Amino acid sequence: MIDLLFDILIFFCIYTIITISLNFQQGYTGIFNLGLYFPIIIGALITAFLPGRVAMLIYGINSKLDFSANNALVVSILKLKLSSDPIISISLLFLTLIITVLVCYVIGFLIAYPALKLPVDYLALFMLCAGESLRVIGMQTDWLAGGVMGIIIINPFGWLKDFSYYGIGIFIILLTIIIVLIHQKICNSPLGRLLKSIRENELVAECIGKNVNKIKRKVLSFSFAILGIGGVLHAFSMSAVVIGGYTRVDFSFWPWLMMIVGGTGNNLGVLLGTFSLVIMRRIMIIAKHFFLFLPFNIVWLEPILLALLLMFTLIFKPKGILSEKPLEIKKYMEKTLKLKT
Amino acid sequence: MVSPILSLGKNHKQEKNKKLLIIENLSKRFGSFYALQNISLSIPEANIVLLIGPNGSGKTTLINCISGVYIPEEGKIWFNGQDITGKPPHEIVKIGISRSFQIPEPFKKLTVAENLLLCSLNNPGESFLNSLSKNLWKKYEKFLIDKMFNILKVIGLEDKIDTLAEELSGGQLKLLELGRLLMLDSKLMLLDEPIGGINPLLANEILFYIKKIKDAFGTSFLIVEHRLDIIMKYVDYVHVLFRGNLVASGTPEEVTRKKELYDIYLI
Amino acid sequence: MFVPLAILLTLLVYSFILSLLAMGFTLQYITLNVPNLAYSTLAFASTYLTLTFTLMGFTPYLAMPFAFTLGGIISFLVYKFITFLRNRGTPIVGLMIATIVFDLIIYALMNIYADYLAYTFKLYVGSFCLTEYDFKIFSYPGILLVSAITSIGLVILFTFILVKTKFGIAMRAIMENYNLACIDGIDTEKILAIAWFLVGGIAGISGSLYPIWFAMDPWVGARMFISIFAACVLGGLKSIYGSLLGGFIIAFSEIFITYFLSIYFPWIWAYRAVISMVIAAITLVKMPTGISGYLQKIRGK
Repeated sequence: MIDLLFDILIFFCIYTIITISLNFQQGYTGIFNLGLYFPIIIGALITAFLPGRVAMLIYGINSKLDFSANNALVVSILKLKLSSDPIISISLLFLTLIITVLVCYVIGFLIAYPALKLPVDYLALFMLCAGESLRVIGMQTDWLAGGVMGIIIINPFGWLKDFSYYGIGIFIILLTIIIVLIHQKICNSPLGRLLKSIRENELVAECIGKNVNKIKRKVLSFSFAILGIGGVLHAFSMSAVVIGGYTRVDFSFWPWLMMIVGGTGNNLGVLLGTFSLVIMRRIMIIAKHFFLFLPFNIVWLEPILLALLLMFTLIFKPKGILSEKPLEIKKYMEKTLKLKT
Repeated sequence: MVSPILSLGKNHKQEKNKKLLIIENLSKRFGSFYALQNISLSIPEANIVLLIGPNGSGKTTLINCISGVYIPEEGKIWFNGQDITGKPPHEIVKIGISRSFQIPEPFKKLTVAENLLLCSLNNPGESFLNSLSKNLWKKYEKFLIDKMFNILKVIGLEDKIDTLAEELSGGQLKLLELGRLLMLDSKLMLLDEPIGGINPLLANEILFYIKKIKDAFGTSFLIVEHRLDIIMKYVDYVHVLFRGNLVASGTPEEVTRKKELYDIYLI
Repeated sequence: MFVPLAILLTLLVYSFILSLLAMGFTLQYITLNVPNLAYSTLAFASTYLTLTFTLMGFTPYLAMPFAFTLGGIISFLVYKFITFLRNRGTPIVGLMIATIVFDLIIYALMNIYADYLAYTFKLYVGSFCLTEYDFKIFSYPGILLVSAITSIGLVILFTFILVKTKFGIAMRAIMENYNLACIDGIDTEKILAIAWFLVGGIAGISGSLYPIWFAMDPWVGARMFISIFAACVLGGLKSIYGSLLGGFIIAFSEIFITYFLSIYFPWIWAYRAVISMVIAAITLVKMPTGISGYLQKIRGK
């Protein structure tokens, strides 16, 4: 039972990272990004490619063996070595995260130049296609992430032996809390206000002295880095990377629904939305057993459910459960700035 | 109704011939249509300059060129000796020119307070890294909020401080536009129909306040307005635009006497 | 340089199908200012119709009229939903999400149908290709003739409608200035509904021809979306004939460039879509208005 709850919690954390970042991009800044899975896949690819090979280097494992081609063998050797070496294990985890943050930030920065010039609808399409292209690359390239079959990766908490799953879980929870807090701090600061102004009226924001293009680029790069972290954490929580599993439905459209249902522009609302939908999806997996009589794989009911939920939300509650809270100056002065009115 | 801000300013020594803004042979084309043709004019410091002309004569286009929203095809614009032609709007604001919009463009889903607080040039809380630590921007926010309260008193929107901009009336939006500019403390303010839709009493109050700012800080104003009956008495110089050309310039007395003005407006 | 016949045939069939699809996508985009994200999926849903008819023993081409109807109906439903939301003031973000709704449903139904065939008839159609059910004309595959006639014929028909018929002129009016068209007494709702139905139908037909030459699996729709997007970007985001041209160029690049690269890198075939994406990205940086925009600029000077 506890394992089940813990599993849901990890799932919730990963999706929280994604939806909070999405809210930062769309809810606050107005950057319409339908290709959230693009940086997530980058994170997953780096996780598939890097830590295993670095570990191989550290332990001087026979260079005739390839991490990808001889995956099972190499991973079992590394498992033995790493399970008695917590320092190297954790270092590999942090190395992966740091490299992912850097790579994603740079890629976000490079993409921002052409992409942010596009009108809002084509930006969304561009991001979607970028993600799809990366999926193609990931699934076809065997040496990156095992191609279609996927690849097993090292366990950075293997030294906890039986409790390794709790290790990675607690790490994910901590990191999620940090990421949510960072986003909350930014959103409640003058920068959050600035982002909203860009969302409302870019031209006027420029005409009051804000370098809109530079700020949007920074938002995109930052968000890419955060989503990359999400990808890394997801990969480690699965102990394997199967790029085929990072579909636009699971890692772009579901987070969009979570944000819309919760309330665009409101971080607490987004958390609520993520939570309720994560619970719903996990319950569905259990409920699957009642539908085994159907002549098709029940996973295909998920996209239909997602579609119906999106449709209902768009028609009946487009603003979500919790709408954006406007600033109340007295509260702001008392609570945030600790001033007497 | 004298704002505390003005008591801070000292009476500015006017260098009579110092040109703040110089426009040289400016032309702006849209396809084959010339919105502005060969415009040359200058605005000295501490001057309220009026720009008039019938609809479609290019007044807003001129403001757009100065503020960087449009890039002119020909000509140059100098501000305080610096060539600002073709610079992007955010740089021009930082250099010291701000503008309002003919049809008010507020940040609709933000409150009046937020609309005003955004108009600051160097808020440390607006940088990515600094925004994470409240201590780095608390002080500046307090300073901004004080300034905002003063300006709210001036434009008369104190009771609307927490109202979303989209809920304001047309006249109130104009006041908000003005408020934004006042927050920015620019050396040159371009006002596009600032008193449109505002009752004459309040309009006079605002113009009187603008004159006080000019006297206290040496700020110059380029105002596009149609309500000549109200504004003429506050104005130092007038330029007349007609179909993209500058057809007359002079003091209010000189221009109102010119026959051409009546011809233009009667067409 | 010797190019195998198979490559040339692939190039031709692919060009005809892709350019039609790109043109249709742009048409829908221009008329409503909302990119239809379900477009690619609805086009390739008809491949399962082709499959079904082939399995039942008929010629795969029998699916064409049914594909037209299916594509048309789905497209019409998308149109109705978008206009319904738009009239309530939903912003562009919401409208695009609305198209995603249909994309998801069709995508799921396609996979459900494939599963159904597997479970019930033990037919594993994860990936299928119907070339062997094609007819031959002078030892060339029939698909070449059919795709050419369909593509060229439809473009000519479309141009004729646009220029010579009342309906087409009304459509042009709507594309130029929607509000003015409404004031002029044009029943914009009805005209756009018919237009979207027709375009959806054409997309359905194009899609239904695809598996007669190429291998089809449920993810082709998503991958082809990249190529359609690249074709539209290359041609110019709001230009119908630009997208047509863009479709041909992208098809040419995908097949030819990949073919020549595959001589040195045989694994490159699987990355065709990525090549289109790169072309799209380069176009957006160097020539953001696409080919048609570039030609307009030259003419303007």
